[in-house]
Amino acid sequence: MNLETFQNRVFPVKNKLFRFAFRLLGSSDEAKDVVQEVFIKVWNGRDQLDEIQNMEAWCMRITKNLSLDRLRQQSRRPTDSLEKGFHVQNETLSPYENTEISESMKRIGEMMAGLPEKQRQVMHLRDIEGYSYNEIGEILELDLSQVKVYLFRARNSVREKLLKINSYGL
Amino acid sequence: MDSNIIEQLLEKYWMAETSLEEEQQLRDFFQSKDVPESMKATAEMFRFFDSEKNKSLNENFESTVTKQLRQRQGGKVISMSFTNIARIAAGILVVVAAGYFIRQEVRKSYPQELQDTYSDPQMAFEETKKALMMISNSFGKARHEAGKMKVFNDAEKKIQNKDQEEKVTI
Repeated sequence: MNLETFQNRVFPVKNKLFRFAFRLLGSSDEAKDVVQEVFIKVWNGRDQLDEIQNMEAWCMRITKNLSLDRLRQQSRRPTDSLEKGFHVQNETLSPYENTEISESMKRIGEMMAGLPEKQRQVMHLRDIEGYSYNEIGEILELDLSQVKVYLFRARNSVREKLLKINSYGL
Repeated sequence: MDSNIIEQLLEKYWMAETSLEEEQQLRDFFQSKDVPESMKATAEMFRFFDSEKNKSLNENFESTVTKQLRQRQGGKVISMSFTNIARIAAGILVVVAAGYFIRQEVRKSYPQELQDTYSDPQMAFEETKKALMMISNSFGKARHEAGKMKVFNDAEKKIQNKDQEEKVTI
């Protein structure tokens, strides 16, 4: 595979990879590093790319694995929790991320950041990226019923928190 | 869209039973401004999903990665993060420092090489001549003393010859 084909096939997924890594790591700098690592990994293994059926899902899976490796490394060092890190990141958004986020939307971001890891991954892939259950299963190496269960739990947890906001106007 | 239909769809959504198309319908509905007050928080959630989907990497990212891939188009690309570079630098520093201290120790245990003591070649020649003359004198004296040893040697030989002659006559 030459560079041009690589750019045409792999580069278009860069933003999806970035958002997924960001969801897992809570830091845009780290997410950027992970995407770069993914591209280099894929480029180094370009001879085997023809055997891969779903290139996007495969890249997403590498992104997940590299992000989790980083999280594991971080957990060996004393650091802030992911939820806490999410606050910090939102306060220091770089220009390209600097969309207008209202207070309530920020709160929803925090709700998602507070979900258990698998639930957060499934919810992100379904509700933000719009993947099918099969694709989510392929990316996360889960079977269909597990994907549905994680999504059900994630959505219910967010629903309960939204109901509280509605009842108390928090 | 009829709010009853939306409520039904929402119920399915929370149960994780909606299709991607149904979820798109919900997204479209919550994009509009006339959302009932009771669904305001849910609308924020769908807006959050949409705004998250717009997060992207900047244009420089692609050119940076392309440059990296082009540099090593023939071989494998090794991702060099700051921590890796720091590790290598620390390794080199340790080797250099160890080399320096070992050299110091070796210098201490062996005397330093002789150095030039004269800057004028004529003077150096005279001094060398003097030294050689001194050695030559000492050799002369030693030769004279060694001459005395010859007398003893001759005497010993004469005695031995005399003994042999006596044995023959007997």
